[in-house]
Amino acid sequence: MNASGTTGARTPAITRDWTCPFCPLLCDDLVVESHGDGTLSVADTECSRLAAALASYSATDTQCRSVVDGNEVALDAALARAAQILADSRRPLFGGLATDVAGARAVYVLAAGCGAILDHLHGDALTPATLALQDRGSFFTTLSEVRSRADLLLFFGCQPSRRYPRFFTRVLASTDIARELIFVGCAVDPAAAGFAHTRTETLLPHADPYDTLALWSALGEGREPGGLHRDSNGNDADASPAATLSSLQARIAAARYTVLVYDPGALPSPHAALLIEALNRIVKAANRTTRAACLALGGDDGALTVNQTVTWLSGMPLRTRLSTPARSAGTASLDHDPYRYRTSRLLAGGEVDALLWTASFAPLAWPASLDPAVPLIVLGHPALADATKARGANTVFIPVATPGIDTGGHLFRVDSSVVMPLAAARGAALASVASLATQLTTRLHEQRSGEVQQ
Amino acid sequence: MSLVRLKGGTIFDPTHNVNGERRDLSFRDGRIVDLAPNMPVDREYDASGMIVMAGGIDMHSHIGGGKTNLSRLLLPEDHRTDPLREPAGESAQDDAGRYLRLPSCGVCTPGTLATGYRYAEMGYTAAFEPAMMPSNARHTHLEMGDTPIIDHGAYVMLGNDELFLQMLAARDDFARLRDYVGWTIHASKALGVKVVNPGGISAFKFNQRSLDVDEPHVHYGITPREVLHTLSRALTELRVPHPLHVHASNLGVPGNIESTIATMDAADGLPIHLTHIQFHSYGVEGPQKFSSGARHIADAVNARPNVSIDVGQIIFGQTVTASGDTMMQFRNTPFARPHKWVVGDIECDAGCGVVPFRYREQSYVNALQWIIGLEIFLLVDDPWRVAMTTDHPNGGPFTSYPHLIRLLMDKPFRDEQLAKLNPDAQVASALPGLTREFSMYEIAIITRAGPARLLGLRDRGHLGAGAAADIAVYRDEPDRERMFTSPAYVFKDGELVARDGTLVATPTGGIHFVSPEFDRSIEKTLRAYSDARLASNFAHAAISDDEVCDCCRGGRLLPVECLANG
Repeated sequence: MNASGTTGARTPAITRDWTCPFCPLLCDDLVVESHGDGTLSVADTECSRLAAALASYSATDTQCRSVVDGNEVALDAALARAAQILADSRRPLFGGLATDVAGARAVYVLAAGCGAILDHLHGDALTPATLALQDRGSFFTTLSEVRSRADLLLFFGCQPSRRYPRFFTRVLASTDIARELIFVGCAVDPAAAGFAHTRTETLLPHADPYDTLALWSALGEGREPGGLHRDSNGNDADASPAATLSSLQARIAAARYTVLVYDPGALPSPHAALLIEALNRIVKAANRTTRAACLALGGDDGALTVNQTVTWLSGMPLRTRLSTPARSAGTASLDHDPYRYRTSRLLAGGEVDALLWTASFAPLAWPASLDPAVPLIVLGHPALADATKARGANTVFIPVATPGIDTGGHLFRVDSSVVMPLAAARGAALASVASLATQLTTRLHEQRSGEVQQ
Repeated sequence: MSLVRLKGGTIFDPTHNVNGERRDLSFRDGRIVDLAPNMPVDREYDASGMIVMAGGIDMHSHIGGGKTNLSRLLLPEDHRTDPLREPAGESAQDDAGRYLRLPSCGVCTPGTLATGYRYAEMGYTAAFEPAMMPSNARHTHLEMGDTPIIDHGAYVMLGNDELFLQMLAARDDFARLRDYVGWTIHASKALGVKVVNPGGISAFKFNQRSLDVDEPHVHYGITPREVLHTLSRALTELRVPHPLHVHASNLGVPGNIESTIATMDAADGLPIHLTHIQFHSYGVEGPQKFSSGARHIADAVNARPNVSIDVGQIIFGQTVTASGDTMMQFRNTPFARPHKWVVGDIECDAGCGVVPFRYREQSYVNALQWIIGLEIFLLVDDPWRVAMTTDHPNGGPFTSYPHLIRLLMDKPFRDEQLAKLNPDAQVASALPGLTREFSMYEIAIITRAGPARLLGLRDRGHLGAGAAADIAVYRDEPDRERMFTSPAYVFKDGELVARDGTLVATPTGGIHFVSPEFDRSIEKTLRAYSDARLASNFAHAAISDDEVCDCCRGGRLLPVECLANG
């Protein structure tokens, strides 16, 4: 736990067994040091992503003030203005949503109070996974299952270490299982090299992913490779992809436990959902005779966490619009529509009249396409202050704590089955998204009841 | 500080043998008190002509955790078909101006908010998640914490985790296994322990497709009987009030009566609870090789005082089955309606399978499942050992309880429903000859007093002085379904939360858990195992009191006492 308590921002402190909040692997074996000048470091980290994330914290974070229309103001004034924007808005969008469970819970209540649309920063990566699940389901596994049992790992069109630098360390290091790692449709991830008892290879590195999965699916359903030789013109094509995939199927059949890894965000859009569906179909078919499962990567910046939380609270996953009781009769209070409620589409079409942007893990700015005339409220990383000042009018900024840096919290791990607790490594006196959203909810209702009385 | 009197209601409080006595009931600061009839009170509610019971307790309802949320993710159509509510009905606000009823929807797996609202509106004040994986415990508590009004708790799953099976296979000292069970309850903040298809979820990971009670696990060589015996002995020695909660082997398999009875006997006379036993009461007689085993099972339960059950009644219509039993759920995937499903292997703990299902009146098998559930209710003599459940949502959603109560209380209504079913199933049924109708007193047992007793909740499920003022007040309508759908008043810890089926307050529920004593030195073994096999750090394995309180939105911690020694 945090040796410095929650308020000792200026006291150097070391937190052991710290859980890193900056990627959904949520590595929880780290030692983080909070220095007297407000900076943070993790010694000997092999993770470039962690190092980059820590570099965004500085001595000035605690002095970071709220901003309204380009001017620094007290928190109270910023909250008042933000509540006014939400009260005046008929169709607000809550975007970004880079927060933890507590933040998502509080933001949900605020969204219910003003009838907001919810979408995440990574909504475009999340949506195909949601659609594939809704259409066909899935066959999944989790990191410890991979680590303790998988002897055949297939990576479809992804090199996990690109976004998750310690992926292979987490699932392969210090184990004694003989494993084969096969990269299908891409080159071998360099980070996969060098583990004991582990062989790597690549298959069909340049093949079209749709063609590969079409062939593979057919083989998985028992079709003979000899019958799959023809290309779309009916000519005999190179037989090798079918033969290659057929021998891959034989290896799956011979393996004890095959895990097929993919990253929805790395699959080609706009039809990534079809690929995800095919990957799960192949794995489901394999399970008729042997054991296999999929591991989907992704869920960064709280995407998985907020999607899970909104789903359990409301019944619907993300890209959902909430309506207040003031809605017209005969309509539902929840409308889930992954196409209609996409941030970029809503902004491009001028369909929203306010944006509440939450970014608590990194200084990730709101979409550049936001019309300067649309009011913007940013609950953001202190390093976003200057960008919000530069926007000038119609803009409120309130600095927030990062879960795991300045507050505790909970996040879902990449495999969506494990929730990790976060401990504050620094504990600077910044407000949490949860506390700000709750205050905004109270003010919103005060504002409304004030208007009614007038 | 307020003193409230419910005046003139007819009280059913089986814990105190009160069977329809007309008298006042008073409570102060959330607790029931004895009060002189002429004592002035702050508030009085007229309950004359009404029926007063403790709040309902659902001891087996999948309300939170990974597989429940997967069910929601899988079935947006279930949520879209939720009947629209009148917007005006949602505009009630609390003192701070916040809406009382936040948007939340779903029929067979509602959002947590809707789950809490609907339970409370029906007069239920507690529900228990029966299948919490240790690795998914935080998630489960987070969801239960977001289930408003009702109290909650969970049974942690053991008996398919690799460590337990390894220790059992290595013939480790029993005391160490017992301490591991104690540690797991402690670390996950559980109220009890559940075993699902003992050893079978793990066996499926090693590609074993069926596992009978005395059949060896293909990898570890241990049998389900050994798992059952070890776990029930461990809970007895740890003095955990709720007996081992068992989802038996061979769920849904025709002819599973024998393994179900073998499961009862694996406890060797120690307390054991067989859950959703309807799914484990199937014979193989008749042309379809599927018949009711209710009589056999009921006889077995009647003859074994150490056995308690809940039924897992099925209700016709669309639902979703969500279970840790990957072995059986995978077998059922061809029957998924709509045609989609999720199965997963989870953290060397267990797994989960989510398979949507539509129970049809004209299906012989489904009709017989419905019949079997009711036969079991009617054939087991001691209502204290039978809890009313639909295994929400596996047999049907918990919102079917008022309908189920009417089926049990009203023989002509039951006959009317039976007549709609597949004709072959009607012929294969003993139901027409079962004339028993549950009394109000018996309903109070199987829906609150009995579950409270089975769980060791001493201050719940009854209306004696000192009990929590969780109270449901029903209008005595001849249509029992209507009566139990929307009570006139529901109080949670003395606060009026629903009136005539409409919410008036949404307090946060509390969490029931048990803290058995165990030898902490077991943590050395657990840490070594975690370091070698798992992808997470053992330092984060246990949930502290403070953390569970955060997970549960600051809900009250309600520690349940272990049984006294001797």
